Amino acid sequence: MVGSPVLFIAIPLLAAFIIPLLGMIWKESVRILPGLVLVYLLTLSINLLGYVLDNGPIIEIIAGWTPPWGINLVFSAFSGFLVTLMLFLGLLVWIYSYRFKRNVDFEPAKKYFILLMMLITGSVGIVLTGDIFNQFVFIEIVGISAYALTAFYTGRDSAEASFKYLIMGSLSAGFLLLAIVILYSQLGTLNMADIARNIHTVKPVYKITALIFFIVGLGIEAEMFPLNGWAPDVYSQAPGPVGAAFAGIVVKSGVYAIIRIVYTIFDIEGAFDFLVIIGLITLLFAETAAIKQIRMKRMLAYSSIGQMGLVLVAFGIGTEAGVFAALFLMFNHAIIKSLLFYAGSYLVFNSKEKYINDVSGLGKSMPITSFLFALGAFAIVGLPPFAGFWSKLYFLIAAADSGMIMIIALILIVSIVEIVYYFRVVNKIYFSKKEAHVVPQRPTFNALFSMIVLGLIVIIIGFFPDLITGILHDASRDLMDKTDYINNVLSITH
Amino acid sequence: MEMIHLILIIFLGGAVLTYFAGKVNDILRDALFILSILVPAILFFTNVNPESYIDLSIAGFNMKWGITHFGWIFSLIVLGLGVIVSFYAVSFMKGRDKVGSFYFNFILSIGAMLGILLSQDFVSFFIFWEIMTWSSYLMVVYNGNQVQKIGIKYFVFSAVGAYAMLMAIVITHSITGSFLITDLIAVFPQLSNQMHILIPILFLIGFGVKSAMMPLHVWAPGAYSNTPMAYTSVFSGALSKMGVYGMVLIMITLISHIPEGHWFREVIAWMGAFTAVLGTLWAVAQDDAKKLLAYSSVAQLGYIITGVAIGTELAMLSALFLSILHALFKGTLFMAVGAIEKQTGTSNFTEVSGLIRKMPWTFLASLMAIIALAGIPPLGGFVGKWMLYESLINSNHYILVIMIFFSSTAAFLYCYKFLFGFFLGQEEKEWAHVKEAPALMVVPMIILAAGTFILGAYPGLILSPIDAGMQAIGFEATQGHYWEMSVILNQWGDQVVLQPIVYAIFAIFLFFFLFLFFKSRKNTRYVTTKDISSSGEVPLEHENLTFSQNFFQPFLRAVEPVMRRQIDKYYNEFGRGLEAIFDFGRRIYTGNGQTYAIYVIIFVIILLFFKNNLFG
Amino acid sequence: MEPILYKVFGAVVTIILAFVVGMTYMGLSRKITARVQNRVGPPVYQNFLDALKLISKKTAIHHGIMQMMGPAFFMVTSIGSLMFIPVLNDGRFFSNLNFEGDLVFLLYLMVFGPLGMALGAGQTGNPNSAIGVTRGLSQMVGFEIPWVMALVALMIQYDTTSIVGLMEAQSASGTWLVFSSPFAFIAAVLAMLGMFRYSPFDIVGAPTELASGPVAENGGKYLFTMMSSNSIFAFVKLTLYVDLFLGGADNLIELLIKTFAIYLIPMLYGLVSPRYRTEQAVRYFWGWPLFFGFLAIMYAVVF
Repeated sequence: MVGSPVLFIAIPLLAAFIIPLLGMIWKESVRILPGLVLVYLLTLSINLLGYVLDNGPIIEIIAGWTPPWGINLVFSAFSGFLVTLMLFLGLLVWIYSYRFKRNVDFEPAKKYFILLMMLITGSVGIVLTGDIFNQFVFIEIVGISAYALTAFYTGRDSAEASFKYLIMGSLSAGFLLLAIVILYSQLGTLNMADIARNIHTVKPVYKITALIFFIVGLGIEAEMFPLNGWAPDVYSQAPGPVGAAFAGIVVKSGVYAIIRIVYTIFDIEGAFDFLVIIGLITLLFAETAAIKQIRMKRMLAYSSIGQMGLVLVAFGIGTEAGVFAALFLMFNHAIIKSLLFYAGSYLVFNSKEKYINDVSGLGKSMPITSFLFALGAFAIVGLPPFAGFWSKLYFLIAAADSGMIMIIALILIVSIVEIVYYFRVVNKIYFSKKEAHVVPQRPTFNALFSMIVLGLIVIIIGFFPDLITGILHDASRDLMDKTDYINNVLSITH
Repeated sequence: MEMIHLILIIFLGGAVLTYFAGKVNDILRDALFILSILVPAILFFTNVNPESYIDLSIAGFNMKWGITHFGWIFSLIVLGLGVIVSFYAVSFMKGRDKVGSFYFNFILSIGAMLGILLSQDFVSFFIFWEIMTWSSYLMVVYNGNQVQKIGIKYFVFSAVGAYAMLMAIVITHSITGSFLITDLIAVFPQLSNQMHILIPILFLIGFGVKSAMMPLHVWAPGAYSNTPMAYTSVFSGALSKMGVYGMVLIMITLISHIPEGHWFREVIAWMGAFTAVLGTLWAVAQDDAKKLLAYSSVAQLGYIITGVAIGTELAMLSALFLSILHALFKGTLFMAVGAIEKQTGTSNFTEVSGLIRKMPWTFLASLMAIIALAGIPPLGGFVGKWMLYESLINSNHYILVIMIFFSSTAAFLYCYKFLFGFFLGQEEKEWAHVKEAPALMVVPMIILAAGTFILGAYPGLILSPIDAGMQAIGFEATQGHYWEMSVILNQWGDQVVLQPIVYAIFAIFLFFFLFLFFKSRKNTRYVTTKDISSSGEVPLEHENLTFSQNFFQPFLRAVEPVMRRQIDKYYNEFGRGLEAIFDFGRRIYTGNGQTYAIYVIIFVIILLFFKNNLFG
Repeated sequence: MEPILYKVFGAVVTIILAFVVGMTYMGLSRKITARVQNRVGPPVYQNFLDALKLISKKTAIHHGIMQMMGPAFFMVTSIGSLMFIPVLNDGRFFSNLNFEGDLVFLLYLMVFGPLGMALGAGQTGNPNSAIGVTRGLSQMVGFEIPWVMALVALMIQYDTTSIVGLMEAQSASGTWLVFSSPFAFIAAVLAMLGMFRYSPFDIVGAPTELASGPVAENGGKYLFTMMSSNSIFAFVKLTLYVDLFLGGADNLIELLIKTFAIYLIPMLYGLVSPRYRTEQAVRYFWGWPLFFGFLAIMYAVVF
């Protein structure tokens, strides 16, 4: 073992504090340090993941208290995979935004990177922790940094979006706390494994109420309908890379939390069906709303919500194949939606209102960005031979094996809606006359680099899905095996 | 490395290389383009043996690639047409922009079509199917005209079809646990009744879209006419046949235990016939050659669908023969329109006329293709039509015969319109400068047109591989019962002996042609089309004598009740209705923070209220 | 070489016979029309004189190659279809190509001519020709439907698509098809009205409106070819009707009587009818003739 999971939380948090200090000495360090941290953490998490796949999960105890009394971190195949994915996306966000607003002051850059570090700390923490109160704390860290990042552009609209997010986030926190209180009052423990072991002793009414509060609280983070009102505003007002970070990192951690609750902690069968239903509704409303959008980022936001709905449906199937499909969907969504956010925000870079119409005819003047956007669009609607196809196929197979034929039909119909709005944009980019007032913006080298990396992943996974399926299988097996999780955590000693 | 891998890699690599070669040198790009279709075609026909398969596994899916005898017939269409049209395309695309992406999609779609034929499992089948769809989609929107309307319509319909197919595929997998086509076929008879209906219908929607079956055809006219003509030949000639290929797979092999005359077959046969009739009527009403040919393709595929659906040996023979013939003559016609469009800048009958003396070779190719299309002996189209009629009569589908016959008689109207509109009629000064298309465009047309002629005299040349393919999917041997090298027979033993017919027709034709032409060649002179007897008056130079507006107005008036209802309109209404619903969805997101907070509270209350129903 | 020479000789004789009979009938029709209209009319042999005049004329101008191919195409159809129709019941001498094509083939061969001629007319550039052609093609779509329905009814009633087969069926059963499948006969006769293009279906030539339509620009040898192939074609159609419905003919006299009887139907109907407009003509064929066609098929299916 080359490192401890605790580093994933400690180092970025530390970095967040050090950044302003270092910034006083050397201004450029504000930009460089987060990158170094993320590269280190990424290599660390890849190493740990490799270790975990061979040797089983790593349980890290914090402050010497063994579970169920102390806080523990669990780096298993499932959480490890998500952490690696998040860190990778975080690294790409860093690359993308390295020269972000360089011409502006040093101050915004400093704030931006501090907040980004905190965002990543929180998200990784949510995934790694084995304690529900600790998880709540991390959710709050994510929330606070996310509100601030949303309002980064300090305009009227971004302040409004940020405020909406804040309101919803507070509601979320309230419900989460309620749920935690209920569980603690019944079981006297906050450790996930411990709760999971004893949950059958709790009276159904408490159990179900706690579950509902958890779902509502976490559903706000995970963009579940109808709790996702904040999302479109936030995505469209936040800077492009932040939108990608939200879609790729924050929402993933929200979904993770819900899944952990439903799969591991509670033993309520109805929750799975609920996930399917609510996921479907989310998907349906998000995609239908997306088709009517006239602004680029709002469209991507709704699409992102819809994808998360699909992920929830996949988790709701409840079989290992379903979890596998859900993880694949999450992976693809992270990669492809980031690509779309990156490319899309460059396409509307110089347009004041960020209308979709403003991308018309940019295919000539911004060939690479346009191509990457089109690639992302093709991939996200699930066209082979790109990455999105495989996850969609796995999802449909999992659903069909569980006999959900009508649900398959519904999802496929919704996919057609998705095709319509994505292809409208692609058509506009390549086959419409350019709007006179739009000035094409050359992407910076860093941005181009991160987009191309994502594009290559989309194509490579499309042709060689076997590169990823192995890890996903391990991760999904890990999530499904509840008793193993409990035993691993509780058997740990010094 | 297996030959099949190599072929597919050449297609893919060739597509990418050709695209980038365009940045370096145009000639290199053109050469690469032709090579990346020609080389795999040669490799395929020399090195790939039917019925030998290779297995591979991607992402946990077991795939099986190889060509069946049956698929081999279609590979003949795809690669044959692909190679010939690729030469034409080089000349057609000269001097246009975005040639690179045209070539890229061209190669890719040919490769994908071959891939479809090579796939013996549904996963790779679907993958290639989708690649074919999007590469052809990029061709449809290539010109940039009405992309949002035509392009999206094409893709949405394709997606509906593809997803219906995908649904059938995953349902199959959930039952059989396998993606192999053979496994589905083996297991199918034991499935429940519900599945017996659901799976074929889902597949049928998938394949019906591509083969433009009524009422799923509405994308076709726009898409065919909007695509660069060099690709439309492939689009209509080969790509739409993939739908036919799939349909045969499903209708014949999958449900072979469903007897001939079963309602499922009947319904599809009728849909095919309606497609043929309405497609023809709409074709007659068009003033644009591309649209006309597009509707005509819809109609022709209607014949093929009917033949496939009837499913007797003769009907299958005719459907497959017509598929090949359709690739030949429709390929020629679309190429001819492309040539005319390139030389004159328009493809509208009301704008251009009297090209026969300027583009004689194009005319000759078009004339032969039109004769084949109309099904007039002695060209190949007749053989297919004859077999179709006889099979319908033999299998007691009398009303269908009448419908098909009506549509192919009405087809004469648009056939004539095509030839008259472009080549005959008044020679306008405006088009005096028009020259014959370059040889690289004319020769492929002539080759394809000559193909219809050869098949007219010796249909056995192509009927023997068709027979082999049909035997591979479980039919009896048909040689000797239904056809010989140049004889076609029906179930009652009535026959048409083609060779003496061809000889007789040519002898008579030559005799009178020489009688009219050679004898008077020396002492007649050519006069312009203005020099005509118009009730005794000689028309003046400026008088417009071109007749092209409302060409078949009387006929269209006669059939007006049928044409008043357009299926297109219903879809548009449906689309508008959906948009209204979507708008409702959008309104839920009011943009007001308070509303969102209320949503949360309401959601919690609902959940708490129904907690026992949801989680109990 | 003997059989082939014999065949060629037979074919030539058939053609000459068809030509003579067709020309005579046309002459007769002109005479009868004139008498009905209380005129003296031209002599019966007037058409032969016309033909002689046309063929001896020199052609001075042409409009291009398609104009020359048009009449040739028409001739192909006329003679070609003549070859496939048994002239007499026991016609070894007239056998030509009788056994090598069936009714469906004949149907298609018979539409070839009008289309070819239409193309020839198209190249002349005379708008009247093109208008005539569009009318003719529209009308063809009209009358082909009841005609095909009648033929399909016959085919399914006797399980054969060959003309010879149908004739054998008649001689075997001893009754003519006109009695054993009367509705098919009615549908076919109604379709024939359109096929012969006498009034009210003379919309193609429409002398007063279109100045003879498709043939307007043709003179001399072109007109001769068209005229003679038209007469041959008339003979072909009449013989076909006789073969199908009236049990064929055992000798030439019988053939002449029967064909002339059939010929009188469209001619006399035409004498008393004014001209239709095109859409009226088309719709006419999709009215009662179609109804009888359906009846014929039902009849054939039931019996």
